[in-house]
This record gives sequence, structure tokens and C-alpha cells, in this order.
Amino acid sequence: MTRRLLLRWAAALVAAWPLSSIKALALGRSQATVLTSGHLATLRAVADVALPSALTTEERGEAVTQFAEWVANYREGAEIGPGYGSPRLRTTGPPPTATYPAQLAALEAAARAGGAESLAALAAAPRRAIVEALLTTPQRVTQLPARPSGVHVVADFMGHFFHGPVGYNLAYRAAINREDCRGLAGSESAPAPWPARQGGR
Amino acid sequence: MAVHESDVCIIGGGITAAMVAEKLATLRPNLSMIVVEAGKSLFDVENRADYRKRSLDYGENQWPGDYVADQSADGIISRTMAVGGSALHWGGVCNRFSEEDTRLKSMYGLAVDWPITWTELEKYYCEAERRLGVSGEPGPLKEDARSEPYPMAPMNMSFNLIQLKAWADKSGTPFWTTPQAKNTVNGYGGRSICLRCNTCEICPTGARYSPDYTFKQLLAAKRIQLHDNTLVRKLDLDERSSRIAVAHAAKQDGTGGTDEYRARIFVLASGYTWSPHLLLLSANSRFPTGLANRSDHVGRYMTGHLAYQTTVDADLKIYPGMNEQHSLISRKYFRCAPNTPYVRHDLRVWENGGGRTPRLRAADGSLLLGDALLDDWRTRTTRGTARVRGYFDVHPDPDSRLTLSPTAKNRWGDPLPVVRHKIDSASEARQAATRIHLEQVFATMATANDGRMGNVSGLSYQDHPAGGCRMGADPATSVVDSHGRAHDHENLFVVGSPTLPTGGCTNGTLTFVALALRSADAIARA
Repeated sequence: MTRRLLLRWAAALVAAWPLSSIKALALGRSQATVLTSGHLATLRAVADVALPSALTTEERGEAVTQFAEWVANYREGAEIGPGYGSPRLRTTGPPPTATYPAQLAALEAAARAGGAESLAALAAAPRRAIVEALLTTPQRVTQLPARPSGVHVVADFMGHFFHGPVGYNLAYRAAINREDCRGLAGSESAPAPWPARQGGR
Repeated sequence: MAVHESDVCIIGGGITAAMVAEKLATLRPNLSMIVVEAGKSLFDVENRADYRKRSLDYGENQWPGDYVADQSADGIISRTMAVGGSALHWGGVCNRFSEEDTRLKSMYGLAVDWPITWTELEKYYCEAERRLGVSGEPGPLKEDARSEPYPMAPMNMSFNLIQLKAWADKSGTPFWTTPQAKNTVNGYGGRSICLRCNTCEICPTGARYSPDYTFKQLLAAKRIQLHDNTLVRKLDLDERSSRIAVAHAAKQDGTGGTDEYRARIFVLASGYTWSPHLLLLSANSRFPTGLANRSDHVGRYMTGHLAYQTTVDADLKIYPGMNEQHSLISRKYFRCAPNTPYVRHDLRVWENGGGRTPRLRAADGSLLLGDALLDDWRTRTTRGTARVRGYFDVHPDPDSRLTLSPTAKNRWGDPLPVVRHKIDSASEARQAATRIHLEQVFATMATANDGRMGNVSGLSYQDHPAGGCRMGADPATSVVDSHGRAHDHENLFVVGSPTLPTGGCTNGTLTFVALALRSADAIARA
């Protein structure tokens, strides 16, 4: 199947999952802050195609775990840094995660509509096609947010990973470890190559 | 109502209060001191790693509760109000001003001379660097000669900064590293060595100086009393003299309690906003326009500096995040030859990851997943970005003012401040030429190494604000003398940022501290 045919197929599957169902699910779980094991399984299936292939299965699983922890530990109403230059008091809004269950369900529904048992049961190409279709329909997602924003769970998950320290290490092929306290010694040298193990891209 | 008596009452709990209290505790061990701060004490060092993590992950305030909700001002740039003040958040940059800043009138016919010689101020810069624990390297320019070495060796340049220095030096302007109040050795001031956590605004290790450490040390040694959550609302005079007799305060903890502070000496260490604000609030029949305000200069000449900045895409290998707050500086343009168009500024260079972040869609709009996203990102990491900025010197108009709001009030009904900066006509007249000059400097740096300069933008506010109680020898044109003693009240000192007549063209904190330490000498003698 060509890429174009794949995308058409995935779009048709996504269309088969009506928008009204997504809205209904979202409304029903507007305060969801904990992802279920089923949701995490879907995210792991997404991670296989949305994260770099240089990551091991365990590393992709760790990315899913960290994202789930971010979701679980989000605090509505927490103070935001008052800023500098034009300071004003602000607090964090409602969890941006309310749509996640519906969006994850839509991924699974599209996979089942294509005859698969689950998203994870699909090969990489059709799985990627479904993810791509859901990032295009009903809303074309364009941003990779530095922090989850609620636009789409896949974009939020990817943004959480790529904007994080491991994402930067991969992009620069160097152990920058930007969020670690690393000490001054040795900082005049370029960071060590990353990943350190053999077989990385 | 509780009445508290002490030799010295320090109003405000920021960095200058900490420095004055620490110095007085040494010079006059028997003095009793009370520090009164409107905000909370945020002494929970053990939680700072968690606050840092929440800030990184969720954008939450690194210093939860570091403000008083109804105590803000229109026109301020930071609303931190807590023990430690704005220096809880600061990046620790400890640049000195230059002699030109203190002699603007006599050298250039601009603004006003400071009532203090450079030699005198330089001595207190050295003391400020010792007390804060500054690591740095002396600059190569003879005009920046120092009478003492920095207390600590400079922080080593990261790989990024080494690349940036090699790049920036090609423009012909000499750069060196910015001095910082960050430990490069273990144990200085009882604090840890820097661990390069890359979040200096909340240093989880204590390597970056923060006033809360000084206050905790003073409290442990029982050298001060610290009354936090206590807002001083008004100063009252002695009935038979113009000495300050009492500070009236209100508890901010919801109890509705009030306090009176009686002291032999009052030190106003509340920064550029709340110091003149309290003086204006304290108007009475003898001083109808506010205390210390016979000259009508309280709240005037609010100052600071402006900036232009840009980014330069250059042939550099930069790994974003190695030590983003450490930077390069050149002081070459602190000098301006007489009889040439006046422009003075600092010049700073930082690593920058701007424009090189991951993206979900390629330029053609196609979706990027997994390896495709990574490959796209990597094509944009082969070059690096430098952030370049120049703070430039502007001078305040007399109507650059802090006034009392006719409408905004705090919970006690006190009018809140309104700050409106206004540069003087000479500064206004040279704005366009200043921009052209800085654009040329940036362009020279960019083209020296195959760089592409981005858009040049300016600050929308005056940074490192100061003024409002400017110092001077003439009581008719200033609020305090060179030691911060109010011309109108012999037992009232205003210390630090409010006393600056002009705001210089680089970070102000070290200067605020140096002047406050000089005030402490006079307070000790008073």
C-alpha cells in the first residue's frame, strides 16, 4: 500500500469515528488527570511511530511513563511565575488533559475499524497513518507545544518528549542533560556523545 | 497593638536590607536591629529542588507565595515581595557601573554628577563583591582597573561560551565573562559550589547568592529580629523635631494586628518603588507633600536603562542548555569620547536555542513524526544562535515619577504607587542615533563570522529600575545625601536603588549594594 493510499485509508477510518463521540467522551471526562492502563498501552503504540527509532522499547516506555506522571501531577490553580517586565499574578488553568481519553479512544477505534484488534496490533505504516490522520482531522494540529496544551494528546506527548532533555540530547547527539545539575568541571568541553550505547542512530 | 523598640529599624527585607544588617552587626555588635518585611519568609531551602522541578515541568512559580496580592503597583517590573526581595529571583550578575556614570555632568554636560567619587565607590564595590561572593575575571580595559581581585576565580566558560567568545572577538570588540554572585569554590559564605543546574532564578544548591541566607545567618546568631508579614504603612515624626519617631505597621497575616516600631534610626530599604511610596504616604501637616520631600524630589527622577537586542545565526556549534545564564560582556562602550555623539552601553552575549526547537510540521506543512521530526530538527542544529543585547544609558526627566494612585488601594485603604518612566529630552533626542549605533555594532558582530542578524527589538520598560529618592549634595535638588541620609530627617536613611540619580547602562544590583554598604558606615556612626 502506498503512503497516499494509507493516508486515505486512515482518514476514512477516522471519519468513521464521529466527532460527536469524541465530544461526548471529552465532556464525560473533563477533569481526567489519570491515564488508565489502556490509555498507556495506546500511548506506547503511538510512541513506536511518533518517537525516534533510536530509542529502545524501554526508553519509549519511559517516555510514556513520564508523560503520564506529568498528567497525573498537574495542579489546577497553582501560581505561575509572575514574570519580569509586565508582572501579573496568574494561576494554571484546568488540566489540559480533558480531551485525552477521547482522542486515545479515537486512535483505537480507527485501528479497530481497519480490522485490527488494537492500534498496537497494526504494523508501523498503518499505525503512523492513523496517527497522522488524527492530527489532521477534525483539526489540523500544527504546534509541538513545549508543555502539554490540550490541543491533541499525540502532539502533547511528542512535545513533552522532544522538548525535554532526552529530546535535546538526541537532536544534538550529545549528553547535554540540560535539566541536570552537572557541576562545572568539564563544561568547557563539548558534551559526551549521546546515546552512549552502540547502535544509536 | 504591639510596640517594638530597637536601635535600628530596617524597613524592607531585600538584598540591601540584608547587607546593611550584616554590616551593622559587625560594626556595632551591640546594636539592636529589627527588620520589618511586608512579605513572607521563604526559608524552605529543602523544597527548592521541588520548586525548580515544578517550574521546569509546569511553569509554576519557583518561589510560591513571594508576593502580597493587594500590594502591587502600576508600572513596576517585578512584584516580588518577600524576605529576600527581587534578589530571590535574580541571575546573580554583578557588573559594576563605570566612572562615567558618576560624572555625567562634568564629562558630558548631561544629567547630573553623583555626590561620590569613583575611587570611593570602587572601594565599596570591592566590599559588595566580598559580601555577596562574586566570581569573576578582571577585564582588559585600563579604565576598569580594580583595587582588589575578585573574591573567587571566574566561572569556567562552557563549551558554548568558548565558541561564542571566539566568534564575538572576531568583531574586534573584546569580550570576557560576566562576574556573578555564584560560588566557584565550595564553602564561600557557607554556600555550595555552583553545580550548573541552568536555573539560576531558583538555585537549588545555594551557589548563587540569595539574601535569605544572610537573614538566616543573622537570625541564627541572634543579631536581628525579623518581623515578616508586616507592612509598614506610615512613618510619624517626633513632636518637637523632624526626627522619625515611629513606624506604624499592620500585620498581613489576617489577624488585623497592628505594630509600632520605635527606633533611634530608621533605614528605608524597600527598593525603588516602596521607599518613595512610604515617604509619600507619610505626609503630615509639617511635611504636606510627604516626608523627606521639602525638595519635592521624592518619587521623581525614576530611572533605569533601556536595551536593544537581537539574535545572530552563525557558524557555531552550540549545545543549548550547557549554562544558559552565564554570558560574555564587553565594557568597551561604557566609554564615549567627549565631543562625539553620546552613546554608552554594555554589550552582552549568551547562548540561545531560539529558532532551533523541534517542530511538528515541516516548512511544506507535512507532518513530522519520529525520525522525520528528528532529522528535520537536526538540519537546524548544524549552526548556532547567539543572543546579543546592549543596555544603553538614558537619563530621567524630573517628571519620571512615582505617584500615589487616585483609585488603586490596598486592603488598608492606602493608595498604591503608579510608576511612569520618562526619559529627559536629551536622551529622547539621541534615541534614533543610539539605535543605529547598536544595530551597527550587532551587524559588525554578525558579519565577522558569516552570521545572519535577526530583527532588532527594544525593551518596552526600563530595566534595573532605580531612583525616586536621589542622592545629592544640594537639599534643594535631592532627597538624601551621598550616604543616604535624608536631608530633612537626621535619623532616616534611604539605602540602595532609590538613591541613584541615574541608572547606568548595566545591571544595577551590585551598585545598589555598594551604596547601601557605604550607608551602613554612616549609620554605624550615627
